[in-house]
Amino acid sequence: MPFVYTEWQHFTTKDGLPNDHIFAVKADGPRVWIGTEGGLACYDKRTGKFRTWTEKDGLPWRVVSALDVDPKTGDLWLGMFGGGLARFSGGRFDHFHQLNSGLVNDVVYGVAVENDNVWAATTAGASRYNTVKRKWTIYTEKNAPMEEIWNYGVSYNDGKVYLGVWGSGVLEFDVATERWKDYLDPDGEMEIDLYRDDGIVHVITTGTSYIDRVLWVSTYFGMCRYDGRHWRGYYAKETGLPSDFGNAVKGRSADEAWYATDRGLAAVMDFKTDTWVTYTMDPKTHKGKAVVQRGSTVLKTIALEKTIPHNYVLWTEVDGSDIWVGTSKGLAWAKGSGYYPRLKAVVDNRAKPDASLTTGDASK
Amino acid sequence: MRENKRTCRLPSGSLAAILWSTTICITIGSAGAGEKEVKTPIYVGVTQCTKCHQGEEMDYQFCIWLTSKHAKAYSALAKPEAKEIARLSGIPQEPQQAAMCLGCHATGSQAEEWEKDETFHIEDGVQCEKCHGAGSEYMTESVMTDRKAARAAGLMMPTTADCMNCHKVKGSHVAVLKSRKFDVDQAWDEIAHPNPSLWKHPKTKSLPKPKDSNGAKYIGSHACGQCHKGPDMGYQYSKWLGGPHARAYAVLGTDRAREMAEAAGVRGNPLKNAACLRCHTTVYTEPAGVTDTHAISEGVSCEACHGAGSEFALEAVMRDHQGAVGAGLKEVNQATCMKCHADAHGKPFDYDKACQQIAHPKKIAKPTAAIHYKTPLYMALTPNGQQLYVTCEASHVVAVIDVESQRKIAEIQTGRQPTGVTFHPSGQWAYVTNRLDDSLSVIRVADRKVIKTIRVGDEPHDVLTDKSGKTLFVLNASTDSISVIDTGTLDEIKRLEASRSPWALDLSPDGKRILVTHALPRLGKFRTAPVSEITVIDVERAVVEDRLVVPQTNLLMGVAWHPSGQFALATENRTKTLVPMTRLLQGWTISNGLAIIWQDGRVDQVLLDEPNLCFPDPTDVKITPDGRLALVTSSGSNRIAVIDIERLIDVVEQATDDEREHVLPNHRGKPTEFVVKHIPTKDSPRGLLITPDGTTAFAANSLDDSLTVIDLKTLEAVNRIDLGGPKEITKTRYGERLFHSANITFHRQFSCHTCHPDGHVNGLTFDIEPDGIGSNPVDNRTLRGILDTAPFKWEGTNPSLQRQCGPRLAVFFTRIQPFTPTELSALDTYICTIPRPPNRYRPLGAELTEAQRRGKVVFLRTRTNDGRLIPKERRCVNCHFPPLYTNRTRQNVGTKMWLDRESRFDVPHLNNIYDSAPYLHNGTADTLEEIWTRYNPNDQHGVTNDMTKDQLNDLIEYIKTL
Repeated sequence: MPFVYTEWQHFTTKDGLPNDHIFAVKADGPRVWIGTEGGLACYDKRTGKFRTWTEKDGLPWRVVSALDVDPKTGDLWLGMFGGGLARFSGGRFDHFHQLNSGLVNDVVYGVAVENDNVWAATTAGASRYNTVKRKWTIYTEKNAPMEEIWNYGVSYNDGKVYLGVWGSGVLEFDVATERWKDYLDPDGEMEIDLYRDDGIVHVITTGTSYIDRVLWVSTYFGMCRYDGRHWRGYYAKETGLPSDFGNAVKGRSADEAWYATDRGLAAVMDFKTDTWVTYTMDPKTHKGKAVVQRGSTVLKTIALEKTIPHNYVLWTEVDGSDIWVGTSKGLAWAKGSGYYPRLKAVVDNRAKPDASLTTGDASK
Repeated sequence: MRENKRTCRLPSGSLAAILWSTTICITIGSAGAGEKEVKTPIYVGVTQCTKCHQGEEMDYQFCIWLTSKHAKAYSALAKPEAKEIARLSGIPQEPQQAAMCLGCHATGSQAEEWEKDETFHIEDGVQCEKCHGAGSEYMTESVMTDRKAARAAGLMMPTTADCMNCHKVKGSHVAVLKSRKFDVDQAWDEIAHPNPSLWKHPKTKSLPKPKDSNGAKYIGSHACGQCHKGPDMGYQYSKWLGGPHARAYAVLGTDRAREMAEAAGVRGNPLKNAACLRCHTTVYTEPAGVTDTHAISEGVSCEACHGAGSEFALEAVMRDHQGAVGAGLKEVNQATCMKCHADAHGKPFDYDKACQQIAHPKKIAKPTAAIHYKTPLYMALTPNGQQLYVTCEASHVVAVIDVESQRKIAEIQTGRQPTGVTFHPSGQWAYVTNRLDDSLSVIRVADRKVIKTIRVGDEPHDVLTDKSGKTLFVLNASTDSISVIDTGTLDEIKRLEASRSPWALDLSPDGKRILVTHALPRLGKFRTAPVSEITVIDVERAVVEDRLVVPQTNLLMGVAWHPSGQFALATENRTKTLVPMTRLLQGWTISNGLAIIWQDGRVDQVLLDEPNLCFPDPTDVKITPDGRLALVTSSGSNRIAVIDIERLIDVVEQATDDEREHVLPNHRGKPTEFVVKHIPTKDSPRGLLITPDGTTAFAANSLDDSLTVIDLKTLEAVNRIDLGGPKEITKTRYGERLFHSANITFHRQFSCHTCHPDGHVNGLTFDIEPDGIGSNPVDNRTLRGILDTAPFKWEGTNPSLQRQCGPRLAVFFTRIQPFTPTELSALDTYICTIPRPPNRYRPLGAELTEAQRRGKVVFLRTRTNDGRLIPKERRCVNCHFPPLYTNRTRQNVGTKMWLDRESRFDVPHLNNIYDSAPYLHNGTADTLEEIWTRYNPNDQHGVTNDMTKDQLNDLIEYIKTL
């Protein structure tokens, strides 16, 4: 049995958020940064209080669409939809936009800190800003294998930057060699997968997450996983995914990844056994459920008072044992007390143990 | 020349370079699909032009050039006068290696190596391609005979206006050469070399060569010049280049030569006559082997006297004199000269005199050592309290003072311009920031040796360790950042974002927080008061915890925590930029004070200026260990203010919130309540230090090369420690003192240094004249490398520094009697010698990066992306012409605002432009990007609106290298 999150807490404007449309969440130690359509928020897990910033408080632009924290300096980087890029450092916002800096475009979908560089995925290419040398580099079709330049997402880990590009699949930038590699759908732009697991499932990619040498990808037509040698495609019809329309993905390990879709939140909890847990909310009762599946087979359905506040999930963030979920109607905090990776024969949360579901007999 | 060299030459053979080259070849002036590819022209050198532009058929064009001053322009840089001009201009390099000198004295000096063919030699001075453009693409006969095609391929036909880009009067040159005003029309006539109306190519498409023979070959003077150059070789090559021997062939193409030949019965063209060529070339009439690098046009070159060089020119051979002689190196004596000079043209020949004229010894007398002052800035005390380390900016050393005897006991050579200094808590190491070298010296205290030098950010100004000594914090003033360094590995762990020009820092008594002051205010909105920042660092995490705002201030410099940890003090300047400077008479245009930074982040401000006794340029503050007194230096009035801290806090705490915000920061009546004494010092005190026992204070008198010792019991200056600087006060040093002194201003409120700290900018836009509030706002401009950039002022109305710093200063700034002529002359001399720091985006000799290279193409482009011709006056390089990157004219670039009376503004030079934000005449552009994205809607400031974002980024990357 995989770990199932049963303890959920919701946050909306009533709780202090500046807006309920949550575009980005970034965990930063005791703090959690939240980017919304109406400003920036910071939740202090120690005090349970929000602090917010809107344009009145110096936030350069209302819509905060992406967030990342520089692990060395502690500075927060904000991608702003139509407003460019900002650094929030010691209470000061520094605004970088296409008029005052080398940023390629102000419509920023994604932001990622890579060493001393900050990447911005924008609607007109990707920008890389070296914060030490103050140098901007633009990546477009001119100098990268970018068939389209509409960049939806960017992530960095372990020496690799990944861009999720609308119509251009996933682009991998090797930091050491500064070389690009593209991952395109072998089936072209067709919205069906002629040969399964032959590559990325579709070129309209929205999110990437690289961890433990495994790349997790979300697209508008399915999700996938790549271990450097083998691709694995995921579709709603044969997995726990509530939809093939993926907005974002966050990998926790080579075995576990969380997908934000337009119809709920789904997590591959154990890659090897294809075990999923899917969290949805009943729009009528506002109660939720968690469905445990192995492939398309439902193993267990667990009714919960709360799961996610809305089924249109825009972002998900791993925070130690916890998970944060940004939706179009508020923020959710799934508390992972007793969390364990992959599967366990005996679990200590509300999901009842099932002797047949153990890590040891995963091949059954 | 190999034909393939005439296309784009690559910086390296890499695939990336090939791809780059392909791109650049297509991009330059790209006229769209289907149009002919335009290649990057490269410099081919005068020898290639000579192939056609020589001889009678072409009206001796080559000879006209070779006998002109242009051909000697490079060699002239070897003269002592050139060194003096460079010194006067604040150029620290050898003139022959300084981009600023070579920009006018050579051709293609801004070009990278790959942009020069192997036939090109910079030593040939101002060659054809200097005015006509790099020739590789138009030099072929088929192109050159089609003027339209040649122009399209890069041939430029200069006008007298182009000449003025280099020939405009330069103060430095006038001062040294006493040169007359340049008459461009006369000069134009002197160098005129029009194609004959019935021109035809010479029958021989190259200069004649001697008949070949076996044996040693003549290799040409350039080969010799590769080693026999520069000060270490007595500038031998330049001496020849600038002498008559180098012009021996060319003079045969003059009317005078033809007259003399005719008079001597020589028939035909002297340039082709063996009788003439025998002595006017190195080798021609005798059968001799020559290499491709030899040309008879060199005239009488090294090998004419020293023999054919192919066998002895190798360095290994030349270093062994006997071996070289064995390989053909000839001993030169009177007989050598007399072969040609004996009774030549009936002229008497004085061998000794001639020898003196062409003397080219390897060793030349070393110039008198320049006077180097000490200029002490800041101090640190060894943890055992026994020795004081003093950074001496001008002599690049740390002076070590024995505290007990109060004498200098040693000097430690550091990097250039040492500023900040601190000790490791163990006392084993000292750390010194080297501002000019962008480095940190690690000194082992036991033997006073620099054991390591590490690279930090640009212009590091101060340094401190945490309490444990594990972490160093270095303030990088030019890159607005803070380097965090692990003292164990001496690796930079990370770089924190500061505000503008982080200046000084102090650790809180509990060791948890560091406060950082900044010399420059934040970039702010147009017509708003400056706002400065004090950055708060969480020491344990080494991250920025907070950024405190100090409104209406700039030049936050010294900072010190009170021992209680409840507050800290920082020196500040309050410059009112929104009212005309002439409001100085009302006493509050530029005022000086202290910021009180409370533990909770609140900031109060008080003045140190009193109604008739100002306290100009407060630069450092220190607090006694008992927390009772604070000492503040005034570098503009040579005093130290002693502040009773209890009274100071009383003044603040007894005020209402409104008074604290609005009254105290401007109240000149308050200082008398807490300033208990002023202690005189020597010239321009900067750093302060108080001993841990609280008995003694030291002040570093930067322009007196001394320390003032203060007894803190009596509050009297009790000693002057001489740091051993020169006793002579040069004119430049005198000018430096005047620059830093507030004696010239009404009520002695500020000095030149106040607005131009360290000769640079204070980042503010001023309303100067009494023509209405806010009218004609002008951005402060740097004084670094200012000498030859006249006219001055954004409106270009001041033709000289004398005028700028004399009458104008008195009328608009100082409001009292102007400097005397002697003072003014000294001040101007000093200002002219304020050097430009080395360019951080392109170290001397470094190749351009790919982005910079692409940007250079944009900078030089003549066509838009869609192929439209860009009018010459709207090309970047037209107004920003190297080496100063200004043509020193006024131009309307469409930036006139409702507050301006003028629409045409002085073209600013672009050297090190990256470190003088904000930009444009009124400082409205916070960044270089904004110059074009916001303030160039009609393409008046260069045609830029067709450019893609990546092209603009590239252009800016290149501009930063200038």
